[in-house]
Amino acid sequence: MITRPSFSQEVANLLYAAEGSPLLVCMQCGTCSSTCPAAPFMDHSPRAIIAMIAADLKEEVLASNAFWYCASCYSCTVRCPRGINIADMMYGLKRYSLWRNQYPQGLIGPDFSRRFARMIVRTGKSFEPALAPAFIFHAGLRGLLGEMRTALALFLKGRLPLIPSRVKRAKNFRRMLSRIIPLARPA
Amino acid sequence: MSPRKKLLIVDDDPDFVEAIASILQTADYETEAAYNPKDGLAALQSKHYDLLLLDIMMGRGAEGIMIARKLRKDPRLSQIPVLIITGIREQIAFLFPGQAVHPHFVPVDELVEKPVEPELLLEKVRTLLEAAEARKAPERKRGAA
Repeated sequence: MITRPSFSQEVANLLYAAEGSPLLVCMQCGTCSSTCPAAPFMDHSPRAIIAMIAADLKEEVLASNAFWYCASCYSCTVRCPRGINIADMMYGLKRYSLWRNQYPQGLIGPDFSRRFARMIVRTGKSFEPALAPAFIFHAGLRGLLGEMRTALALFLKGRLPLIPSRVKRAKNFRRMLSRIIPLARPA
Repeated sequence: MSPRKKLLIVDDDPDFVEAIASILQTADYETEAAYNPKDGLAALQSKHYDLLLLDIMMGRGAEGIMIARKLRKDPRLSQIPVLIITGIREQIAFLFPGQAVHPHFVPVDELVEKPVEPELLLEKVRTLLEAAEARKAPERKRGAA
């Protein structure tokens, strides 16, 4: 007889290897939300997301933009008085929604993650000038001008290369990746 | 009549586990499920199963591979037939266009992709179990001689 796991158990299974305490020891103090620099952009704070998982509100959690706005700064994780690895939870929820193709339309995060992964597989390095154009118009004209100003400042400081570079022996790197990602033969 | 075959499903998606378990139960197979790689491996090491149905993308990433590699190295478990059921092609096609997916991590394995047709699933399971029986038969004869 198979007992169906609840959504909170599904998330616990997803995070079975994560360091730190299980999500359900959260005491809802809100330290994660008050320390999170991305919280103002989220529709639900990290504290609320944990409470929603504990309440098995699967559809509401998957419809949230919160984990896509997580910048992985780990402030929440280092400050959680219960020792919960909240940043890992955010990564886990990204994986969960990507594997099931279940995420809100119009978010940059899922598309960006895929483009980034493809670029790393191809060249072994991130090259921002190739990644940015697909998303540069998302924030409107003001956002575009802001991005251009940042890009110019980076360029003048020599921090924005115009020619993409690759890791040495990119083929070996791809072979290494094929050990992690299940392929029939080395790439 | 041979006893009911016992199958283990290791997959993190409860909807999918429920669906394939009900298909397998209609064909009179006994099914158990583990929803993360750690529980799956523990079940394989502590109980006997005739076949493993394995998902790839679980936990931190492609952790089904971790189970398959451990099975391959374990002399007691390396002969369990494994049916890999995965939706990985979408991820592979995105990262490695044109690459074949079937990894052949264990000596006896087959791969079907999600969503899986019930008839195809039952056919693959039956074929793998029959092949396992056929492999055991000469061993039994040698033991009896």
